[in-house]
Amino acid sequence: MSEPKRLHPIVIVLHIGKSIKELIFSFIAILFIGNKGNGGKLFLLIGSLFAITFIITSSILSWLKYTYRLEQGELRIEYGVFVRKKRYIPLEKIQSLDLSEGILQRPFGLVKMKVETAGGGEEAEAVLSAISKQEAAYIQEYVTAAKHSTHSTFDSETVDSTQSIYKITPSLLILLSLTSGGVGVVISAVLAFLSQVDEFIPYENLFRGFGKWAMGNFMLIAIIVLFGFILAWIIALFGTMLKYANFHVVKTEHELIIHQGLLERRQITIPLNRIQAIRMNENIVRQMLGYGSVIVESAGGSVSNQEGARVMLLPLVKVTDFRTILSPHLTEYQIHTDFTPVPKRARLRYLVRSWLWAVPIVVLSIVFLKAWGLLSLILLGLVTWWSYLKSRDAGWAFEQQQLSLRYRTITRTTVFIKKNKIQSLDMKESYFQRKKDLASIEAFVKVGFGGAGGRVIDLEKGDVEKIYSWYSRKNRD
Amino acid sequence: MITGPEKRISEKALKVWRLSGGISALVGGVLIAVAIVLIQLFDWPDWISILLIVFGLMETYFLVFLLPKLRWHRWRYEVREEEIELQKGIFIRTRTMVPMIRVQHVDTVQGPILRKYQLASVIVNTAATAHEIPALEEHEAEELRHYISNLAKVADEDV
Repeated sequence: MSEPKRLHPIVIVLHIGKSIKELIFSFIAILFIGNKGNGGKLFLLIGSLFAITFIITSSILSWLKYTYRLEQGELRIEYGVFVRKKRYIPLEKIQSLDLSEGILQRPFGLVKMKVETAGGGEEAEAVLSAISKQEAAYIQEYVTAAKHSTHSTFDSETVDSTQSIYKITPSLLILLSLTSGGVGVVISAVLAFLSQVDEFIPYENLFRGFGKWAMGNFMLIAIIVLFGFILAWIIALFGTMLKYANFHVVKTEHELIIHQGLLERRQITIPLNRIQAIRMNENIVRQMLGYGSVIVESAGGSVSNQEGARVMLLPLVKVTDFRTILSPHLTEYQIHTDFTPVPKRARLRYLVRSWLWAVPIVVLSIVFLKAWGLLSLILLGLVTWWSYLKSRDAGWAFEQQQLSLRYRTITRTTVFIKKNKIQSLDMKESYFQRKKDLASIEAFVKVGFGGAGGRVIDLEKGDVEKIYSWYSRKNRD
Repeated sequence: MITGPEKRISEKALKVWRLSGGISALVGGVLIAVAIVLIQLFDWPDWISILLIVFGLMETYFLVFLLPKLRWHRWRYEVREEEIELQKGIFIRTRTMVPMIRVQHVDTVQGPILRKYQLASVIVNTAATAHEIPALEEHEAEELRHYISNLAKVADEDV
């Protein structure tokens, strides 16, 4: 296939939609400004006509100018209307081809293909926004074939040993949505929207009348606010449901493949050897129910596509099943359950650390707010409980080739890292820690572009030194 | 207790840090002077000016004398065949271990003050982190860069 190909024309519609989405607030702004004077109307009309024509033509042109082809072991993409850009990606550099189907792609049997490369800066990735399924399958085959010929391995393609690892059940999906933190996202989206439009709403006039009215209708307002929150929560609920519906994970010989989504279907491929760490998150609600979610962190992804680096592997799983689900498939990883905790004397330090900022707040609010300030004692109670949880959850464990760290920010995180994926290791002790024979450990791994990893504070100093010399090559007989 | 890294950085680092500390203190001093002039102009109480002067003097002492000395005493590094180990930090002592196979590339950098004293810093980059060894003798930094990048090349391995 060496002759250049175009994407499906539906891309034009996609492009128009995207441009309008980007410009929508400018449109609204023009609308309001244009309404002011009489001459404004004409200006408005011409302006919008011009903008719309521009968007449509540029969308058509950019579709016309966007071509791709597979040639000489490279995926060659050429695009750009005024400035021609050529992006040639060597096939063996391609880490994964992710497929997804949006609402517009679905009726035409099309898919969107994301091409991800290993290192690469912002530029080193490409998106084919709409191609037929056959075409996608063909490209996938072509790429795998090209990769295997360079690797000179003879494992025949036909022995495609795919095993199913995980499949979400309806009840799990409901539980997942109920316990997800998506509400926050929705609320902030609403706030962001309000902040965009607030310039055009005559708040002052509104509030003058509103103030009087509000006095008498305090209950009503409370109910409206409450209703708003419930609505936001329900939207978030459905959002999560749509996103994780049909979630299932299969494992081929060298890859994990994740399928998810109802309206927009996604398919994510993670090469096993790119996995840097496995992370289990348990937020407080889920932890009480005995559930958590599992994320794989991989070296893939790029600046513009951070989500490629952190991929949800098991959105919701019973903590007790976690091991039995993953152990047979990710054989390299030892899933621990027994962690060496921080020593008893460290607990006080955890408490002091949170009281350092909580106590002043409480004192100040009692001084200034008098009786109402006593409410801040609730905060103190929560903080104390939280720091107790933090100290209880912190811990570590290691094997021959693996370090496991557990700590809590708000959610409890357990991270499993292979020794050879740790980029560097820090051992820290402050003056006060030294007095108490405690130390902290921090391990860094590569995730996408930058680092991540795990940090546990106030471990027994001897333990930290044990981990440190385990990681060092010097003291190995 | 496992033994830490042994090698110290150049003694001239002390001068460099004192100089850059002095510059920061000078900037702080100018700001304080401006503040005092304003305080006099607006007839605010004198104790604010006195407080500011005390603060300025303490800042100077810390930046020029105390901190560089403590920092220099704490700074150690060691480059072994298979790994690099660093120790730093005044109040919080941090010891960092970087295996040679994780090193992606090595840089030497030299600002104007470092250049004046024929010093240079070496920055060791892994895929996820960057580690600076500050203020080595120029030739030493150069050698170290070659040494590390050669070792890193030998120990090549996929991320």
